[in-house]
Amino acid sequence: MAGVNGDGAAGRDGETPPTAAASVALDGVGKTYPGDGEGGSVRALDDVSFSVADGEFVCLVGPSGCGKTTLFRVVAGLTEATDGRVLLDGTEVTGPTTDMGVVFQEYHLFPWLTVEENVGFGLERSDRSAAEREARVDEMLDLVGLTEFRGAYPKSLSGGMKQRVAIARSLAVDPDLLLMDEPFGAVDAQTREMLQRELLDVWESTGKTVLFVTHDVAEAVTLADRVVVMAAEPGRVREVVDVDVERPRDRGDAAFAEYVGRVRELIGAHP
Amino acid sequence: MATETASRVDEDGAFAGVGLGDGRRLLRGAAGVVGFLLVWHAVSLTQDPFVLPSPVAVAGAFAGELASGDMTTALYQSVRHWIPGTVAGTGLGVAAGVAFAWSGLLDDLTAPLVRTLRPVPPLALIGFAIAWFGINDWGAAFIIAVGAFWINFYAAYGAVEGVSEDLLDVGRTLGVRGDLDAVRSIVLPASLPGIMTGIRTGLGRCWMLVVASEIFGVPGVGREIIRASNNLRVDRAIAYILVLSLMYLLVDVAFRAVERRALAWRA
Repeated sequence: MAGVNGDGAAGRDGETPPTAAASVALDGVGKTYPGDGEGGSVRALDDVSFSVADGEFVCLVGPSGCGKTTLFRVVAGLTEATDGRVLLDGTEVTGPTTDMGVVFQEYHLFPWLTVEENVGFGLERSDRSAAEREARVDEMLDLVGLTEFRGAYPKSLSGGMKQRVAIARSLAVDPDLLLMDEPFGAVDAQTREMLQRELLDVWESTGKTVLFVTHDVAEAVTLADRVVVMAAEPGRVREVVDVDVERPRDRGDAAFAEYVGRVRELIGAHP
Repeated sequence: MATETASRVDEDGAFAGVGLGDGRRLLRGAAGVVGFLLVWHAVSLTQDPFVLPSPVAVAGAFAGELASGDMTTALYQSVRHWIPGTVAGTGLGVAAGVAFAWSGLLDDLTAPLVRTLRPVPPLALIGFAIAWFGINDWGAAFIIAVGAFWINFYAAYGAVEGVSEDLLDVGRTLGVRGDLDAVRSIVLPASLPGIMTGIRTGLGRCWMLVVASEIFGVPGVGREIIRASNNLRVDRAIAYILVLSLMYLLVDVAFRAVERRALAWRA
């Protein structure tokens, strides 16, 4: 599949990628929610800057109230930032774009569409021919292992299956970036670990850039090349941690535990 | 799991609205009807026929009207305004409900108007029906349409308001652009269950409004009920009321079958 290049490989080796090759760059992003008359405006994000290299897997973690979800919505173009800007492959994000595949915690599948119709939803708006769309849907269903459920409605799927459909749906339009907001937060622990492994497989086979928001530190250390740790009130970047552990990562490993401990400490520590 | 889903859909479709699967319920329903008829018959023995005719007399009147062809004529006359009234009222109601709920501008513009017109009962508009359309099927259809309009307007409005903002967000990230695309590909399918409940309620209401719509002289089932009542022929009046009930039942069962099929995706 298209989109794999040398920068991706560099990122995967754990080297800090050069900003010039960034797939996503946040430049001084701030967000203030206006108060309700009696003052009390809320500064949700303050001067958030970091970048994600092409093909890199970056996780965003932080305490509750650190503006993770606001930041996710700003990057997705669903919420407008008050300050700063988000660049996707050098172009400023001014609204939702199909160059970004967005996956939400609650799946948000279209319940009136079958699995394959959900996966094909974005393709209907592309300039592909019917045959190309069909082939693409087949490819995506195969990628997430749901070919035999293609005709089912979301109501009959488990949480894990729904999230696979959501991932396939977002990847179908071949975005440059996969943007995910706690995508495995609503499934049980066993399914979560399985989905994490599957996501890494998908990432390795497609070479997509991934920005993954989570509150689960172990999940972040399992998945990410780099972990962006945020602090709360106002939401800002506290530190960026490079995770220098070979994949597949073993949670029993000493180095793994060390990273988890370090990130937890950063989240817990107050400035 | 996929085949399981498929078979459940088929089952829903095949038995839609009829409930053949539940023999005991059917039996109890039949017992209830028989009991009611017995009580009715017993009470009717103590009353004059113009106060309460016996069920046997009503059955006789029903058979008589049917045999003479008067009943089918009246039904045909009523259907001639029930159909255009229901179709126009439903279509306009759904369209206005969706449009006003979706567009803040339209909503603001029409809110005072809607609140003023909403409490006007269709019967109060008979003068307008006569003045604008005349004493004919179109005048009667107008009365029916007004009733259907409001039910469908509020059902569609509420359904669209309830459409998840998140689904719209997902749509935008997948390339949905502009109001038309959003309404067609997300808002309408997401609000279809609510809209269909409105349509179904409206269909029943329209049969009730057939009587009101014929009060000013348009022929039909409602006119026959009014005439029979004026002549103290209560047996005939009840026979024609039964025609309305049967038509309602027929349309309701048919629509429920359509609804189950259209909403097979629902949990």
